[in-house]
Amino acid sequence: MKAIVLSGIMVVTIGFISCSNNENSTESTTANKETTSQAAGTNNTIEQAKSGTINDVVSGYLSLKNALTNDNANEAASAAKGINESLAKVNESAMNADQKKVYDDIKDDIREHAQHIADNSSKIDHQREHFDLLSRDMIDLVKAVGSSQTLYRDFCPMYNNKKGAYWLSETKEIKNPYYGKEMLKCGEVKEEIKANG
Amino acid sequence: MRLPRKILSGLLIAFVLIQFIQPVRNLSNEIPSGDITKAINVPDKVEEVLKTACYDCHSNNTYYPWYSGIQPFGWLLAKHIRDGKAELNFDEFGAYSLRRRISKMNGIKNSMEDETMPLRSYTFLHSNARLSTNEKALIIDWATRTEDSLRLLN
Repeated sequence: MKAIVLSGIMVVTIGFISCSNNENSTESTTANKETTSQAAGTNNTIEQAKSGTINDVVSGYLSLKNALTNDNANEAASAAKGINESLAKVNESAMNADQKKVYDDIKDDIREHAQHIADNSSKIDHQREHFDLLSRDMIDLVKAVGSSQTLYRDFCPMYNNKKGAYWLSETKEIKNPYYGKEMLKCGEVKEEIKANG
Repeated sequence: MRLPRKILSGLLIAFVLIQFIQPVRNLSNEIPSGDITKAINVPDKVEEVLKTACYDCHSNNTYYPWYSGIQPFGWLLAKHIRDGKAELNFDEFGAYSLRRRISKMNGIKNSMEDETMPLRSYTFLHSNARLSTNEKALIIDWATRTEDSLRLLN
């Protein structure tokens, strides 16, 4: 009888531990972010890691865009993960007050969309839905903060039930990330955003 | 025949014991300050659908079904509610930035069109949360129009 009770208790404990671990893991990701950003102020080595710029976020975005152009959901997911890694390293003190204000407004939205794209490596349609919103964020961000390379703001008139969607590209040639090879050449350049630093 | 019996009674004891581990319930007496109906225009019919089909996981108050008291179902439910609220909480919508409101309206529309929401595991047990074609169209139309009008403010 003792053995039965003991094994019962063990099963419960194991079940409980694994369950509460699960709970912690989702919360600890956000908690970790906070500790790293807090520690950044005091620790020099982490301070060095915080030397990223918006240009790193833009390159992550462009890799994501190219992965979607190639219909590669897996690469899109890892590029999106890269966006959030770059975002965490952005050195905000290099921005002026106006830029910081825009950045503060946009960064959480970027993080959320990139997270969704990273979490849906088997659902490219869902990735593209978030890419649409992420692109709007990136366009606003680049216009406020600037870019080290010339970018093109492109427009796909068909996406979103023909309401259209924008994206940013590093090449003048149109390669549509919303439909991939299904309609690679569809779209037009709406604006050239010149490099400024 | 002795061993299976031991295992069985062990499992039974485990089942009884896990009933004592009850997750904290998602219930609030406060009038939500960020209530979506105070932040943006929500027609009565839309609000009714949101309340029956979405609020269990996307607000600060869950209507708990009978099986939620039985573990491990209650734990599973608690996880869905936690994830759902983190993604979108209609009781905190008023506190969202304009950009986030636009994103969420876009997400509501897309999840309706893709039929990813309401979750199938949820509608399986809550038949009243199964949305008719008309109800879906109503939500999609509302979310689309709200997104468009919010964009004009951006």
